[in-house]
Amino acid sequence: MNDMIRTENLSKRFRSTSALNEATLAVPEGAIYALVGANGAGKTTLIKLLMNIFHPTSGHARVIGIECRHLAGKDFQRIGYVSENQDMPDWMTVEAMLDYLRPFYPLWDGALEQQLVRQFDLPLKRKLKHLSRGMRMKAAFASSLAYRPKLIVLDEPFSGLDPLVRDEIIEGLLDRAPETTIFLSSHDLAEIESFASHVGYLEQGRLLFSEEMSVLSDRFREITITLRAPSPVPKNIPPTWLQVEAGDAVIRFVDSNFHGQATTRELAEIFPSAGDISIEPIPLRSIFLALAKTGRMALRKTDEGKAEA
Amino acid sequence: MKQILHIFAKDCRHFWPEILISLALVGALVRIYPSTWLSNSGNYAVAGGGFLPGMLDAGFFAALLTVLVPVSWWLLIVRVIHAEALVGDRQFWITRPYEWKKLVGAKALFLVVFLYVPLLTGQCLLLLRAGFHPLSFVPGLLFNVLLVTAVIVLPLLAITTVTATFARVTMTLLTALVCFIGYVVISLYLWDNATIPYRDHVSLPLTFCFCGVVVVLQYASRRVWVSRLVLAALSILLVLTGMNVSESADMRRDYPRASAGQEAPVQLALLRDAPHPATAYLNRSKQVQVSIPLQVSGVAEGYALLSSQVKVSADAANGSHWNSAWQGLNNQYYLPGTSESWINFQMSRAFFDQVRTAPVTLHFTVALTRVQAGNVRSIPLPMQDFSVPDFGICSPHADVFRSRFLGVACRFALHQPKLTYIRARWMDNPCSASQPGLETGVQGDAWIGSLDSSPADFAIAPVWSPSIALSNGAKMEGKPESRYLCPGTPVTFTQYNPVGRTQYDFTIPDFRFPSYQPVSGVGVAVR
Repeated sequence: MNDMIRTENLSKRFRSTSALNEATLAVPEGAIYALVGANGAGKTTLIKLLMNIFHPTSGHARVIGIECRHLAGKDFQRIGYVSENQDMPDWMTVEAMLDYLRPFYPLWDGALEQQLVRQFDLPLKRKLKHLSRGMRMKAAFASSLAYRPKLIVLDEPFSGLDPLVRDEIIEGLLDRAPETTIFLSSHDLAEIESFASHVGYLEQGRLLFSEEMSVLSDRFREITITLRAPSPVPKNIPPTWLQVEAGDAVIRFVDSNFHGQATTRELAEIFPSAGDISIEPIPLRSIFLALAKTGRMALRKTDEGKAEA
Repeated sequence: MKQILHIFAKDCRHFWPEILISLALVGALVRIYPSTWLSNSGNYAVAGGGFLPGMLDAGFFAALLTVLVPVSWWLLIVRVIHAEALVGDRQFWITRPYEWKKLVGAKALFLVVFLYVPLLTGQCLLLLRAGFHPLSFVPGLLFNVLLVTAVIVLPLLAITTVTATFARVTMTLLTALVCFIGYVVISLYLWDNATIPYRDHVSLPLTFCFCGVVVVLQYASRRVWVSRLVLAALSILLVLTGMNVSESADMRRDYPRASAGQEAPVQLALLRDAPHPATAYLNRSKQVQVSIPLQVSGVAEGYALLSSQVKVSADAANGSHWNSAWQGLNNQYYLPGTSESWINFQMSRAFFDQVRTAPVTLHFTVALTRVQAGNVRSIPLPMQDFSVPDFGICSPHADVFRSRFLGVACRFALHQPKLTYIRARWMDNPCSASQPGLETGVQGDAWIGSLDSSPADFAIAPVWSPSIALSNGAKMEGKPESRYLCPGTPVTFTQYNPVGRTQYDFTIPDFRFPSYQPVSGVGVAVR
């Protein structure tokens, strides 16, 4: 399967500030890739680098097989881009905007356009500047989906939208999912958990991980070990155990590298006096919290190490 | 081409108010501008505007419109370029399938249709109204379009492509204006040899190339800071050009010294016992303006000399020495019959104060252009417009009641005429029905035109109607009273063509400076 997006050590600095630090990821064709991270983590920077709005300081990225620095003109006939903070031609009505954009796209599907207008209940005769935020986003979506792009890139598409509009947009998006690849950023886990197939996590400009959602869910487990007698946490615990908490006779942690029987055997070796071992799958939100906290600690240690050096 | 037309059509729909304003102003210019030459010829009826005597009818609205038309272009250019702004990271269009060459094509088409075509149409209509056939001036019209592009359109385009909003364009232009005024003020007060970047042969091509590069660079790659650096480099180069850092070399090249044994084209010397002696005025805190009467001789028949620059050095008996840079002379003309003239120059006040009680030796180097008389046309002054071949269209300048002629007014297509000497004879008394004699009355003369041979001068309106002030136009004995030209009086137009340029040196030994007169305010001498 071809990668619709592939980055290698992609970095962007704004003067002394590092907005993105050596991000490497791949988005396979047909994936719904969610780039997650807190506000200011570097999601928008990464997307603007991919769209050739920013120029990378170092590293490479290929989008639909084209080096992102060369992405221009007709290449955007295959890419749909919608951003929460995009300037729109506010003086146009929705109808005028669609009429204006139509000739730019040889594959513009008039029937699909009509369907999207109906689906999103767009007021064709109203000027964009008089639309609500949700309506503007829906208009932007309609204008970016009607030409059946191979890749849809969305920067915080659901930010600030009410749940109804958000669901309408997601529904419209998922209708297109079989024929396209979707790359979207969000700071809200709950809104992408239900439909993303791949996920990447950005923390202070660093991509902490990037993988398939099912693989991620499979390798994370919350493990609770009840000991027969109170015992300190062993010193030789693997680095893949995150958020290790110890009570009187209970040790709880998140294993980020769970491998069924192999993990069970490993636990038995480390805790020979274990009375009960409970292994539970955990929701995506808990996975991210564990990763985020661990990631922050690791970053802090790295920074402290650099400062000492 | 389809994309170009598509974007162009969108811009037309969006910016129709700006387009209408611009077209209306060009229309108003075509309607009102003829008043500038109609009033010069004493026809006070502004075309369609009725009788408006005074400043307003003749030039005020026309002058205002020649400013407002470029202002409307500024509005048009900024709005149409910012419709697809090149600065920023939130623009709608940058992630749409725009091809930059087609976008440039659409913007260029917009400017051609709503800026250049109205300008050219307006200019052709003005030429027609002035009595010139536009088809005879196609190269000049196109050259003027090139000048308008280099002076107004491209700089505006370049600034607009590196700014994000209308406010920022305005701020940038105001900053550039303040810097320009500051540069002019500083250069006038600090460096006598500085010149304002104007019609030289370097500034405009530099501006054209650099601004063109910025526009292309921005559309092709949106490298905003690189483009801004290119514009900053242009500003620095223009200032350096204006400072004329290699002025002496330029003068040596443009005005070579005569070889040994070659006869000087003119003899200049101090005019002793002149009716009006030398004067000196303190006109700026550090400068004294000195005027010295000269005796002129030796100008060959059929030639004239134009002196435009002078360089002065002074040696005092006490060993003090002072040198000036090249200074402008406001074009002094020497004809074969000229016997008296003046030379004016600025001198450092410190040196002047130091030597004014002692005799000094003054060495002058004058940059001279030798011109040879060419076509001579002598035309009896008619009652209405008359055409002077290879010159322009002239008319007698009547008083408000059209009862007598106070001079001659001429208008020219696209640029000033070739350097021309005009002669006519003034009458003190009312004109009689008989033809005035060739030797009656007082001769009045004037120089007009330039040696510049470019096909057009930069202008929004293509008709030049400079005032022609024939000398001796008023009786100065007793009560000042205007003289007038009678119908049928021969008016002679002599065209002069440049034949050479040289530097001429002369010395005035043992010269004593007069005491200087302080000058207040804007240069009025306080005696």
